[in-house]
Amino acid sequence: MMTSFGKCMMGNIISLVKRSTSLLPYRSMTQLGMAIRARGEARNPRVGTRPFAQRSTRPPAAPHDSMAGAAGPGRAPGSGWGSGSGSGRVAPSPHSAQPGGPRSQWAAAFLAALPMVPRGVAPRWRRVAAVPGEGQELSGGREEEGTGRESHAARFSPPGEWGLSACRGCRGAGRVRKVTGFLLRSPFPGRPGRARPVRSFPQRGWRFLPVPPRRGLWRPAALNGGLRSQVSAALKEGRVAPTELCQRCLALIKSTKFLNAYITVAEETAMKQAEESEERYKRGQPLGILDGIPIAVKDNFNTVGIETTCASNMLKGYISPYNATVVQKLLDQGAVLLGKTNLDEFAMGSGSTDGVFGPVRNPWSYSKQYKEKSGPKSHPEDEESNWVITGGSSGGSAAAVAAFTCFAALGSDTGGSTRNPAAHCGVVGLKPTYGLISRHGLIPLVNSMDVPGILTRCVDDAAVLLGSLAGHDPKDSTTIQDDFMPFELLNLADVSKLSIGIPKEYHAPGLSSEILALWSKAADLFKNAGAKVVEVSLPHTPYSIVCYHVLCTAEVASNMARFDGLEYGHRSDMKDSTESLYAATRREGFNDVVRGRILSGNYFLLKQNYEKYFVKAQKVRRLIANDFVKVFRSGVDILLTPTTLRDAAPYTEFIQEDNRTRSAQDDILTQAANMAGLPAISVPTALSERGLPVGLQFIGRSFQEKQLLTVAKWFEKQVQFPLIQLEEVKRHDSDVFQHQKSASFS
Amino acid sequence: MAALVAVAARGCGGLWRRARQRGAGQSGPGPGPFPRGQRGVACNARGGAVPAGKSGLAPWVPVVGLEIHAQISSNSKLFSGSQVQFAAPPNSLVSFFDASLPGTLPVLNRRCVEAAVMTGLALNCSINKKSLFDRKHYFYADLPAGYQITQQRVPIAVNGSLSYSLCIDSKMSQMVTKTVRIKQIQLEQDSGKSLHDDTRSQTLVDLNRAGVGLMEVVMEPDMCCGEEAAAAVRELQLILQTLGSSQAVMAEGQLRVDANVSVHHPGEPYGVRTEVKNINSIRFLAKAIDYEIQRQIEELENGGTILNETRAFDSKLGCTVPMRDKEGKQDYRFMPEPNLPPLILYDAKSLPANMNHQQVINIDWIHERLPDLPSVKRKKLVEQYGILPEHSFTLLNEEGLAEFFESVVKQTQMKPKKVIGWILKDLLSYLKQHSLTVKESPVSSFVLADLLNLLEKKEISSTAAKQVLAELWKGEGKTPLEIVKEQKLELLQDQKELEQICQAVIDGHKNEVMAIKAGNPKVLNKLIGLVQKKTQGRSNPVLVKQLLEKKLSG
Amino acid sequence: MRALLLGAWLRAGRGLPRAPGSGRRHREHRGHSGHSEHRPQAPLRQKVSVEVLQHLEHLALVDFRDAEGVERLQKAIQFADQLHEVNTDGVEPMDSVLEDRCLYLREDDVTEGNCTKELLENAREKVEEYFVAPPGNIPLPKLEEQETFLQGSQ
Repeated sequence: MMTSFGKCMMGNIISLVKRSTSLLPYRSMTQLGMAIRARGEARNPRVGTRPFAQRSTRPPAAPHDSMAGAAGPGRAPGSGWGSGSGSGRVAPSPHSAQPGGPRSQWAAAFLAALPMVPRGVAPRWRRVAAVPGEGQELSGGREEEGTGRESHAARFSPPGEWGLSACRGCRGAGRVRKVTGFLLRSPFPGRPGRARPVRSFPQRGWRFLPVPPRRGLWRPAALNGGLRSQVSAALKEGRVAPTELCQRCLALIKSTKFLNAYITVAEETAMKQAEESEERYKRGQPLGILDGIPIAVKDNFNTVGIETTCASNMLKGYISPYNATVVQKLLDQGAVLLGKTNLDEFAMGSGSTDGVFGPVRNPWSYSKQYKEKSGPKSHPEDEESNWVITGGSSGGSAAAVAAFTCFAALGSDTGGSTRNPAAHCGVVGLKPTYGLISRHGLIPLVNSMDVPGILTRCVDDAAVLLGSLAGHDPKDSTTIQDDFMPFELLNLADVSKLSIGIPKEYHAPGLSSEILALWSKAADLFKNAGAKVVEVSLPHTPYSIVCYHVLCTAEVASNMARFDGLEYGHRSDMKDSTESLYAATRREGFNDVVRGRILSGNYFLLKQNYEKYFVKAQKVRRLIANDFVKVFRSGVDILLTPTTLRDAAPYTEFIQEDNRTRSAQDDILTQAANMAGLPAISVPTALSERGLPVGLQFIGRSFQEKQLLTVAKWFEKQVQFPLIQLEEVKRHDSDVFQHQKSASFS
Repeated sequence: MAALVAVAARGCGGLWRRARQRGAGQSGPGPGPFPRGQRGVACNARGGAVPAGKSGLAPWVPVVGLEIHAQISSNSKLFSGSQVQFAAPPNSLVSFFDASLPGTLPVLNRRCVEAAVMTGLALNCSINKKSLFDRKHYFYADLPAGYQITQQRVPIAVNGSLSYSLCIDSKMSQMVTKTVRIKQIQLEQDSGKSLHDDTRSQTLVDLNRAGVGLMEVVMEPDMCCGEEAAAAVRELQLILQTLGSSQAVMAEGQLRVDANVSVHHPGEPYGVRTEVKNINSIRFLAKAIDYEIQRQIEELENGGTILNETRAFDSKLGCTVPMRDKEGKQDYRFMPEPNLPPLILYDAKSLPANMNHQQVINIDWIHERLPDLPSVKRKKLVEQYGILPEHSFTLLNEEGLAEFFESVVKQTQMKPKKVIGWILKDLLSYLKQHSLTVKESPVSSFVLADLLNLLEKKEISSTAAKQVLAELWKGEGKTPLEIVKEQKLELLQDQKELEQICQAVIDGHKNEVMAIKAGNPKVLNKLIGLVQKKTQGRSNPVLVKQLLEKKLSG
Repeated sequence: MRALLLGAWLRAGRGLPRAPGSGRRHREHRGHSGHSEHRPQAPLRQKVSVEVLQHLEHLALVDFRDAEGVERLQKAIQFADQLHEVNTDGVEPMDSVLEDRCLYLREDDVTEGNCTKELLENAREKVEEYFVAPPGNIPLPKLEEQETFLQGSQ
């Protein structure tokens, strides 16, 4: 089976065929077969898409499926790992052994989605080198390549230079060298002969192709992991430039503005950072894996020079004089900060709908999968009313990652604010152990439970980011002083030593049947793989939400006391007295949700109520934490639970309940981990009946992120979550889109 | 206001009665534990049997408790790295945390903890090995975060005691030692400063002081009048200065005292207390407390009630005025500070093996290195030099005076008991007159010792010595011997010449001689005076007296 | 190990999963994990008195604004009352999950400060180098005098 990038290259060739006047003969049956297969794939769209920035002459593209190399044959979009089918049987992916996996898919999709505009090449070739998948005109069905070829072809990596390719194995073995436009491969050991030109197809017509400069040429790289080996490698090898990467992301952000994922986009600073990164790569001195990688940050992290608003009127226009520690660490490693993402006001909420900059739309609302399930005809008006929420409160970050506008994003997690939107948006959401990552610069909601959260598209990337961010910070007294060793995730070969716990209390009323089924399937997956799966009990789980409610409102009441308008932030015009100024400022600056929590919190902190509510809640907190301790002590390594009660709700339905009720409902499954300070991760698992993502949660032991992420990675590989197939949004401003698309090619 | 007079009769067991002001010409109260003046007499232990008050009402027992905030002497603030300095341009010593920028977090300063532990050990407190931080919420312009980080539940030190002495009578001859219990010592943040600009109707806020570490020492209500409170505070001030944990200069705001005052009848429960703030010196402290006690007594005797309120002391008017009009109680809504895990202190037994020693505070280690406390020092002085206890107080009250005294004693043959007189009367009064500290004294210990040696060797008379001293104050660098030679102040050593002069005087004043012989020995002094005049003060009066007596008797 | 038919168990469920709907309260979710019988709803609390409400407004310097605000508080209190069902005898309150770790101590060095300009940049009103506030604290007017929502609710 060809890898997806092989197919990509195939697509290029096919388009070239179209353009050129003569039909280029294929050198071998292999080539022909490959061409035909590619054509077929172009016909039957599978996962993977080319969402935006299309060529103007192209009709809205069929999702180009050549990225879905590992999707396996015969899988309908969105199907496979249980989309409400409840079949109860988990079909392990036949291609799980392949290097291409879910990571590959998204990376490939992303990179492929972006138009390739190689520099220094004649315009003619540039046009030709259009986005793959244009071979719709060709007919033919798909064919399976013989398995004999499979291994070699599977290693077939996309060309570093145009039209000239060699398999990765050969390259890796150093048998290939470049000579004036050719790649020459020395003979296999034991085989006599001279160095021969590497066979590629079609060679004629490509032979004398000038080798364009490495810089500026952009081809999807080898697919084997997200940031670490794909994009980072691409940057290092010069196959893609940080400035281009940044430009593409910024263009995407512009074209996905309707998602309202970003509050502030820092174009100039981002480009500047990208240029500096490019300089470093030129000198061969990148700062690390994250050098040049575009990243978004939730708008409750302080950033120098970029507004930090927390989606509140109180901090509109506030420019912090210091960077949050995590932001500084990212910048020190060369990451490119694209902008600040939208959230619920002061991170209070579970839908990212209550900020002053408006709600965030889930990119999956515009996905083919959702549209197909929601109804055959989607009028623009229906589209407008049908869109679903991202979950919260880090909804903007999740949407940004899901819509390919950045490679990773920072969120914050107090009661599930990272995992909830991750599950709804189909991305990986990691909540590290409390005390592992510094909170200095994170505008707090509940100081004793907040952690910076990491949102990425695959578990490997989450590990990379965790490695860059974790560690003791002298500016935060709640970070542990132990040394943190960044780790690389190995593939888990043997699951049999693992003990998975299924807490029965997490079968909460309101849990949708499809999620229940998924959960069950996941448990069976582990069991079938040899792990020990046991039912455990966390008896105080039902009270965790009440406990959280009291502790959260009390801390909020305290943390919000600093917003008085004197030193920063919004300031009212009241001049009668200090108290009246404060009262007016706070009335104007905070929304109802925040004010309600402040008042409730103050009520619980009153002298007469302190013991009854606050201390009581603290005691219940200890009981909840002890529950986990007991369970982990009994031999369980990881707990497996659902992340949310259901898939993402439509916005119109969501806003019918008030914020507190919603939060109480939505945080049920995620928030106990914050109570106990344990690490937890939400891994996208499958699509629901409505075509929306659903995630499952793993909770690990304190400071055992390595184990947690290893298991999550294994699980991710098993479930092969489908890629979002973003469709062009038919909006009244679609003309603008067209214009943008063409503009990006000039 | 005559009504303000509060003079306790002696031995009344701490009761206050209205009485007329005792005489006029009371000098203003001085500093130190012996304030004289209107309140001349200290109150003794409470509870003594007392005669009824003037109007026949039952006697009143005042109760005074103190809350003392001492600014910790450190380079940087308690929870942030900005500098601690008294005078600086506004808002220049403010970090992001002090200005309560959102997202900033507190980090505890090790030096402040050590200072608090030292103070706790010096006050015989038991140090809590695990103490916690809390937030105390209230809104004020100089409190940017809207809350103050303090230690309310489990402070760093509890249950100590402070012994202090004060004079019972105005002659300062009798001193009594009292003890006040220390409830707790806690670490907390200081607030900023607000400057009220009434002309433009605004308040200017300077946050330089916001976040500086404070030790709050809470004293139980064991005191019963202003003098006791003043004495206790003075003693605490000395202790803090000796330890170096705080410079405790009230004028610079490094030591602030709030007094809680209430009155009640003996046998009844405590009355409603008021808090008196804004007291800038120890003198005013005593005044404010006494005024407040009096006010409360008057109020209650007139049938009124006391409100549980905060009052400020107006030093110009000499009275307390209500500070904040509180409708309803202030509820500080204490909450544990979630950004600060518990503060763990260790002693020699519980010291962990492999911890970074910079992160560990060992109570026993600090205990061993405590300097001598003032009470210990005083005792040593009294034992070593045989001076009176009152003198030891005065010596320690003045910074550097005790060392000065000791160095003089080392260099001179004069007895310490005599030296002390010179130090306390002459040197100290001169320094006070010119508002100099001991360090700035133009007369060094060496020079004074020199002078005293001359006196001891009887080379000059004490009057001459005083003259020399007056000359030495000018600080022209002359030695005493030079001055003596210059002004010819040496005592006449020649016995014969002295005898001659005596004889001459006797011969010249026959009437006086007869009077002496008649039995009026006091007239001898006149003769001595005449001899002195003749010798221009260069005769030893004792010797002269002897000679005259010899001559007259003979 | 005997095979656990977790799938079956999960599907059977301890309590019947309710259809996701609106208007649910968490109180109604307590139908599992040991509290299988439906407990009666907590008795309706007495309403919070106006004095307490005004006290809260004054302490928090945030006003209720309308009946909905007060209602929100009532509901929050009612929700929190469920805590009293848990038996916490002999349990110590937990301030932080890091209670067994000890506090990081910083050396007494001057590392910050001298950023007057940066601090004042964000302040809307300033006078020279001071932050400026109205004369204060003049307490807020009494309930009868102020025009808040609470006055009407008496």
